[in-house]
Amino acid sequence: MMPLVYFQILSAILFGIGAYGVLARRSAVLILMSIELMLNAANINLIAVAAHREGLGHFANFDGHIIAIFIITIAAAEVGLAMAIILRMFRNRGTVDVSQINVMKW
Amino acid sequence: MEWAWLIPVFSFIAVPLIVVLGPRLPAKGAFLAILAMLGGLIVFAMVAVDFLQSGSNTNGCGISEFTKSLTCLYSINWFEAGSFVGDSSDGIRLVWGMLLDPLTVLILGLITIVALMVQIYSLGYMHGDPRFGWYYAFHALFAASMLTLVLADNFLLLYVAWELVGVCSYLLIGFWFERPSARDAAKKAFIVTRLGDVGLLIGILLLWSEVGSFSMVAAFEAANNGSMSQLTATVASLLLFAGAAGKSAQFPMHVWLPDAMEGPTPVSALIHAATMVIAGVYLVARSYPIFVASGDALTVVAWIGLITAFGAATIALTATDLKRILAYSTISHLGLMMLSLGAFGYTAAVFHLLAHGFSKALLFLGAGSVMHSIDELDIRKMGGLRKVMPLTALLFSIGALSLGGIPILSGFWSKDEILIAVSEHLPPAFIILTFMVAFMSALYMGRAMFAVFFGNLNPEHEHAHDAPMSMAVTMSILGVFALVFGLVSLDWPGNFDGIGTLVYFEKELHFHLVPWIAGLSTILAVSAFVLAYFIYARKRISLDSTRAKFNWLHKAVENKYYFDECYQWIVEAIVLTSARLLGLFDRAIVNDIGVNGPGWIVKKVGISMKIHITGHVYSYALGTMLGTIVLGVMWWLRSVG
Amino acid sequence: MAAMNEIILVSLILIPLIAAIVAMGFPKDNPRPVWYFAIAVSAVTCILSVIAFVGYDYTEGGYQFTRTYDWIGDPVNISLALGIDGIAAPLVLLNGIVLLGAVLISQTIIHRSRDFFVLLLALGSGVFGVFAVQDLFFLFFFYELAVLPMYLLIGVWGSSTDFGTFLRTKEYGAMKLMLVLVGGSVLIWVGILALYAQSANVGSPTFNMIELGELAKAGAFSHEFQRWVFPLFMIGFGILAGLWPFHTWSPDGHVAAPTGVSMLHAGVLMKLGAFGIIRVGVILLPEGASAWMPILIILGTVNVVYGAISAISQHDLKYVIGYSSVSHMGYVIMGIATLHPVGVTGAVLQMFSHGIMTALMFAMVGSIYERTHIRDTNVLNGLIKRMGTASCFFAIAGLASLGLPGLSGFIAEFMVFVGVFRTYLPLAILAVIGAAITAVYMLRLLAKTFFGEADPRWDNLPDSSPLEKAVGAVFVAILIVVGVWPAPLVRVINIGVDSVLQGL
Repeated sequence: MMPLVYFQILSAILFGIGAYGVLARRSAVLILMSIELMLNAANINLIAVAAHREGLGHFANFDGHIIAIFIITIAAAEVGLAMAIILRMFRNRGTVDVSQINVMKW
Repeated sequence: MEWAWLIPVFSFIAVPLIVVLGPRLPAKGAFLAILAMLGGLIVFAMVAVDFLQSGSNTNGCGISEFTKSLTCLYSINWFEAGSFVGDSSDGIRLVWGMLLDPLTVLILGLITIVALMVQIYSLGYMHGDPRFGWYYAFHALFAASMLTLVLADNFLLLYVAWELVGVCSYLLIGFWFERPSARDAAKKAFIVTRLGDVGLLIGILLLWSEVGSFSMVAAFEAANNGSMSQLTATVASLLLFAGAAGKSAQFPMHVWLPDAMEGPTPVSALIHAATMVIAGVYLVARSYPIFVASGDALTVVAWIGLITAFGAATIALTATDLKRILAYSTISHLGLMMLSLGAFGYTAAVFHLLAHGFSKALLFLGAGSVMHSIDELDIRKMGGLRKVMPLTALLFSIGALSLGGIPILSGFWSKDEILIAVSEHLPPAFIILTFMVAFMSALYMGRAMFAVFFGNLNPEHEHAHDAPMSMAVTMSILGVFALVFGLVSLDWPGNFDGIGTLVYFEKELHFHLVPWIAGLSTILAVSAFVLAYFIYARKRISLDSTRAKFNWLHKAVENKYYFDECYQWIVEAIVLTSARLLGLFDRAIVNDIGVNGPGWIVKKVGISMKIHITGHVYSYALGTMLGTIVLGVMWWLRSVG
Repeated sequence: MAAMNEIILVSLILIPLIAAIVAMGFPKDNPRPVWYFAIAVSAVTCILSVIAFVGYDYTEGGYQFTRTYDWIGDPVNISLALGIDGIAAPLVLLNGIVLLGAVLISQTIIHRSRDFFVLLLALGSGVFGVFAVQDLFFLFFFYELAVLPMYLLIGVWGSSTDFGTFLRTKEYGAMKLMLVLVGGSVLIWVGILALYAQSANVGSPTFNMIELGELAKAGAFSHEFQRWVFPLFMIGFGILAGLWPFHTWSPDGHVAAPTGVSMLHAGVLMKLGAFGIIRVGVILLPEGASAWMPILIILGTVNVVYGAISAISQHDLKYVIGYSSVSHMGYVIMGIATLHPVGVTGAVLQMFSHGIMTALMFAMVGSIYERTHIRDTNVLNGLIKRMGTASCFFAIAGLASLGLPGLSGFIAEFMVFVGVFRTYLPLAILAVIGAAITAVYMLRLLAKTFFGEADPRWDNLPDSSPLEKAVGAVFVAILIVVGVWPAPLVRVINIGVDSVLQGL
């Protein structure tokens, strides 16, 4: 079995790319994709840790898998909602550049 | 005698009846007030007869320890408050009670007679006034309150009635409120007397805390047997005197009474000459045991009385408005009564109070008759009116001569008693000044009488008419009183031993004449009238040169020693300005800084802190991440350390 | 009758509250039906409050009409415990009368009248609740229910003041009133929680004031604790009573509020504060009360004199009355602070008397303003010629406020003087002088506004409506009856005050 640390490094790299994307990209769609990247980094991490843990008797520990599936489900819902918001945003303002959209400022 | 409470109650009942039913009744319900007063007079007559016949064994009566005269007490409970359980009982029990003694009975008589006369007189005088009904309602309320004041057996009830007569006086002075002068005079009268009442109320509270009851008898007892210290007695009596001085227009609170002449003349006759203004004198006479226990307080009363009597008499000499001459004369005579009380002349003061009440009411009604006829008050524009209104002239002259102290008329006897008391109990300076007051009072009375009714008739006044029936009859009745009332001071063998044996303090006083005093006062009075005759009726003597010589003095007197200006300055420069400053303080400091200040600070802090809110998604995301990292590092450090 | 006694207090609270909810269903655009409905409801509560007052047995004393409805049991222990004592009984009566008067006088509210009466009835319910409730949790709840509607009532239906140099919008008045009062509520809530926590320390936690009172008597609250907690109540409730220097919400709020709300506000709402000081502060924290009373009585004296002098400088009718309320509430505070049986009785009577008097004044000023659209005393003059009845009633209320014997104000103020004279003599002298200053501003106001030559502008001014006259006449009658025969009120109050002070 591959050492756990490989998975964690992969996960960290993916998370870093995602975080950079959220902070640096201006397009709302790309930010959304970066968030997906971060979520998936977390999923990899969870599953890897779960697979490497001692099981209880003959059963493996499924906590990580369950959480990962939760995250995938929620991420799907979130993407749907977020895409809808971005779509409305584009319809109303003709742009998805978040630096142009600062109506929440005080 | 137990029914004496009915005397004011009739009038109290009349008030709401006139207000509610008045507009639907003939004469707007005026007759209700008159009937109530007449009922009061009848009950009074029965009570007085009953009182004179009863002795110390009558139910509720006894010989008072303080005045040594017959005193009757009756009361019912009003309400009580406070805690009466246990030994630390601390509360007030208030009663509606009446105290009948010679002082009360005599003054009740004065009030009922003069009030009835004035109310009947007003039928003619106020005829056609748009607020005729209200006039009688206020009159009835006044009469009821004034009678209650005199009957009260405890200080609190006295205070209640005291304030009620004050407000009636306010309402009646300002009766013609369309005139700004009447409106302002009413306000001034109320506020000035109210300032005196501050003292009165504190004095009453002081007596209560000393004695534990508002009862007058209890307070007198404490003062008499020495359980009240002399200091307390002095403070309490001076506080009571502050109220008395306000009501009786004593220096320095005399300024409201001349202005009060803005009211209808019958009101001046009743309230500002015969009844309400004597309430102060009555209060001092009533609480005499406390004043006597203090001693020092009586000296103050004497001094204030003398200053008032002298100062007001000088102003009366220069005033040109007929009613104001009478007003200053009232102040001066009230001063004489106070002086007499200060000189242990209890009987003399009460006697003068009655004699002055009848005479002055007569004079005011006479002045009202003149006003009613020619609508003029400046005596310089009048003259010779006796040709067109002979009855008024005759009656006014009786009043003037009586008040001036011409023998046989009532004013002579009472003034004589005062002079005797002053000469016996006070330093010689007092008696000299009192004689001067007596002289001046004859002089200004002569001046008013001769200037108005004698000399040449002003052609404008040729069509003047004499008083109508209701006015003539009432004036005549008061004229009889002014003529003969003084004779009650004499010893009438077999019938009546003189007023001094009826109303007295501690010991009966039989009539006696001190020849030099009676002689001197007669000479002064007669010479003053003769002088006035030559100056104002025959115009033989001109005052122009004297006036020019003492110009500054004349100016000062004519301007009433600048009291009004001085008070006006105090009100405007001190009271109103400080009120305005305090109002500004409330707006600027308490509100704008104290209340709006914190609001402003919160707003400013909010604005200065809002810079980190950019509205850009990525700045929030950066914050989130940095926060996560910081928290992670902290958690890591903690798990390591 | 026994069944009646059981439910009288809860119906006093619930009837207006349910009526407020029912009123929401009335048509929006027709102001009349909801007004009639509000009259009916407030008439019922008025009758109930009279029954409660008359039914209160003053020979027995103590808490009567008691009833407890459990709400949350152990371990939180909150229940709706009801009951009135001799202090609350006259105030319940006062609220019944003033609420009916305020509803009757609100005939002129046309704009969104449905919402107006919904809020007014909710407010009335809250006031009844505070007076009748025996549980600190519900006391606070009803207190807030009474205070919060004020914001909307003033902000929506109020009127702004603009003298050119001086501008106060109704929004400002409403906002200030609300923020200051909520600030007071915070202190009260902290104090209540402190009492609750302390009762948990010595046994089971409770909000019940009777149980807390017994704990206080048993000495469960240490001297130190009481000294720290009492000022929370003193200032928290004091703010609603117009305690100096937290009084400025009161004149501005009174002025901005519509007539009916001013009547309730000055007439009843300010009394909640003074009532709270007695009911919560003095009963539950007697030692704290004794320790803090010298401070409170000085503040009360400042109220009296400061309010009266400030009133001299005002030239808006409503501001004069507003500052006069500050001054008169000072007598209430002074009376409470004496902790002397006569003084406290006087204070409670003053609450009643001032409630009626000031409600009458606001009603009459409202009636005048309705017709002239001016409240500036420098402009108004000679009104008595045209608006005789309104002017007379106002003058009678004014005379009552300057302490004229024969009207209720005198009896109350006099008893306060007696109490203060016994305990803090120099302040009594200041208080009497304060009453004389009241005469100054009141007579100046009467002289300027009502007397003097009438401006031809007012020639066609109609007098008050018959309804306003009727309300005024009833209020005047109460002033006179209480002034001449105060015994029915005084004996009830006295028994309540006696039992409060015995705890000291």
